[in-house]
Amino acid sequence: MNKFTILVAKILLTILLLLIVLDWTYTTVYLHSSNRGKVENVFNSTARNYDVVILGSSRANNHFVPQLFEEKGLKTFNYGMSGAHLFEASLLLKLMAERNYKIKTVILEADLGLCNEKESEAIAAKFLPYIHHSQTISEHFSGQSDFKELYYIPFYRYVDFDALIGFREMYNTATGKPTNILDNLGYHPLGHKRGNMKNDIRALKPIRNKYYEEIKQICKQNNYKLIAVMTPMCSNVKGLDYFEKSNKIYPEIHNLENVVQGDHYFSSCGHMNDEGARKFTAIVIDQFF
Amino acid sequence: MFFNSLTFAVFLPIVFLLYWLVFSKTKSAQNAFLVVVSYYFYSCWDWRFLFLLLFSTLICYFTGIQIEKSERRKTRKFWFWLSIIANLGFLAIFKYYNFFAFSFSEALNNIGLQTSPLLLNVILPVGISFYTFHGLSYVIDIYYKRINSEKNVIDYALFVSYFPLLVAGPIERATHLLPQVKVKRTFDFEKAREGVYQIIWGLVKKVVIADTCATYANAIFDNYTSMNSLSLILGAVYFAFQIYGDFSGYSDMALGMSKLFGLDLLKNFNYPYFSRDIAEFWRRWHISLSSWFRDYLYIPLGGSRGSKLKQVRNVFIIFVVSGFWHGANWTFLAWGFINALYFLPSLLLGTNRNNMETAELHWDFNSIKVFFSMLATFSITCLAWIFFRANTIHIAFDYIGKIFNNGIFTSQFLSNQRYSSEFLLMVLAFVMVEWNSRFKIEPISGKYSGLKMALCILAIIALGTYSDYKEFIYFQF
Repeated sequence: MNKFTILVAKILLTILLLLIVLDWTYTTVYLHSSNRGKVENVFNSTARNYDVVILGSSRANNHFVPQLFEEKGLKTFNYGMSGAHLFEASLLLKLMAERNYKIKTVILEADLGLCNEKESEAIAAKFLPYIHHSQTISEHFSGQSDFKELYYIPFYRYVDFDALIGFREMYNTATGKPTNILDNLGYHPLGHKRGNMKNDIRALKPIRNKYYEEIKQICKQNNYKLIAVMTPMCSNVKGLDYFEKSNKIYPEIHNLENVVQGDHYFSSCGHMNDEGARKFTAIVIDQFF
Repeated sequence: MFFNSLTFAVFLPIVFLLYWLVFSKTKSAQNAFLVVVSYYFYSCWDWRFLFLLLFSTLICYFTGIQIEKSERRKTRKFWFWLSIIANLGFLAIFKYYNFFAFSFSEALNNIGLQTSPLLLNVILPVGISFYTFHGLSYVIDIYYKRINSEKNVIDYALFVSYFPLLVAGPIERATHLLPQVKVKRTFDFEKAREGVYQIIWGLVKKVVIADTCATYANAIFDNYTSMNSLSLILGAVYFAFQIYGDFSGYSDMALGMSKLFGLDLLKNFNYPYFSRDIAEFWRRWHISLSSWFRDYLYIPLGGSRGSKLKQVRNVFIIFVVSGFWHGANWTFLAWGFINALYFLPSLLLGTNRNNMETAELHWDFNSIKVFFSMLATFSITCLAWIFFRANTIHIAFDYIGKIFNNGIFTSQFLSNQRYSSEFLLMVLAFVMVEWNSRFKIEPISGKYSGLKMALCILAIIALGTYSDYKEFIYFQF
């Protein structure tokens, strides 16, 4: 039995050493990358100056055309991330402030995201490689139920989110494989795909959202002008009163849900196509700038 | 509690330590402890089915004794059939009732008689197909006076419910496992080390190969209408390795775990994808099930004795029943039927007992023939797996039709955010490792075992798929 105990001890030691070495390797790769995604692009940056920064989910990423802002002489970048919740938008803004980004205006897409304070695993995972290198990130995640495992067990976060930050993504990052996420100043145009042109958001209920409150606080502290907007949806939506309910809680959020009408402007019910996005962006520029 | 879960990683060492440090004084203590642990393990799936497991165990235990005690043939037969009907009855109700009710109703609807089936709202108990077959083989062996009945209820309960094999096999025989549980086990370092290596290799097969192949196979099968010929072929190949890695990986872990407790289980897989013909494939794939059907169905039907027609009938019955054992769906029946068709030529030509030894390749022309026969056998196996994986027979035929009609062989981007040919290199590397270790139980033991073990652990940690796919396929049977 003693020999077996030694064998098991060797195996456990091997596992621990591998976890530590792999964790260090993966983290080093992610610390030296900046061109595969918006999170690492911000994390590995130094101070930047923007006239306009756009934050939010895919309804920011697909709806705001930075090029149109640029034509007005406004240096702009669309940091909207498909699938992101306000949890991630708040964290990204914190990182920008930490890096002394000089931002005149933050446009925040704040509509469907108001109904939950949960993290979006697909996007939140992108911050995890830096959890030991950023107090901002570790504090932001400290309230999550699996924080202890993510923080204290080496390499655990890479295993738990292997599809997002695991071997394949690490390899692509290490080899500098490009993506198109940062193209078009962060804007991702959608085609005339005409996906599902109906939606039912009756189950969504807006709440006083702590991450939206955080974003407001960050903007106040750093003198960023905050413009929070609700962006358009197609006409065939059940539960459209969600937007009014959101306005009741947060009257300062501009309800632009119906400024673009006509299904030919939409790629799917919740996302405008490029034509719709340009029309919408022109309206936003006209109204706020 | 899956074998590849953190919960099990805590459970197993605790059981191991208690077994050898606290309960190893007598075989009774060892067996009683393992029975309690096994029942706890099963209760983690669904505690309600513990009663079913207990009932199945007691029925076979009791009827086994009665069969042996009875002097009159009629009485023996009575207890025998009582046991068979009770066990198969539970299996039929939980697994097959809804299938038959629905199929019967559909058949009536097709001839104009509108009916709606009376379906049962039941969950399929995990492992029912496996522990039912344990009990059946025990009772049948007693009836045919091959073994004596087990008088110790704890020993018998352990035979049925032993946790490494409880939910997905291998399907043990009383003649193999019962003699082992009847003696006190003493710790054997070499066996335990072999067991650890086998567990690690089983984990590589499960989380690195099977679960990763699953993401590709699912992406292709679930969107097969938009896939080209190459992707569809790769889908079948990925599924072939998914089911092999999943099931043989589980079996490896079960066998490895048992070695930690001083028990040997039946080998369940013997590198089946290196088979040179379909008969050899079925001597190497899910060995415990195919030998069970051979001994308890095929041979009683006459086996390979009698006329050719009878032999053909027996072969078709075995394969179709084997297919049906896997699940209550026409696709499994079709899969069994197709394998019977594959087997038929070798049966009729009398070549089904060729290739009894393990394949070897050398730098000669004969090896080219061997290589291509392995490739051909693998290919037709993959074709049959399409029926196993598809949701309906129509989809299976449509899938196969598209392979031949599409004609485009470029790598496609899939819904799992990968290109369809991306994982092929890893699969080939796995095949090379398996080929080099086909005369061994697992590839880790022997020279440089420390390094090989470290590489396997590295693969499990860095290359395993954890976030997308977890469940063992054969748990659904």
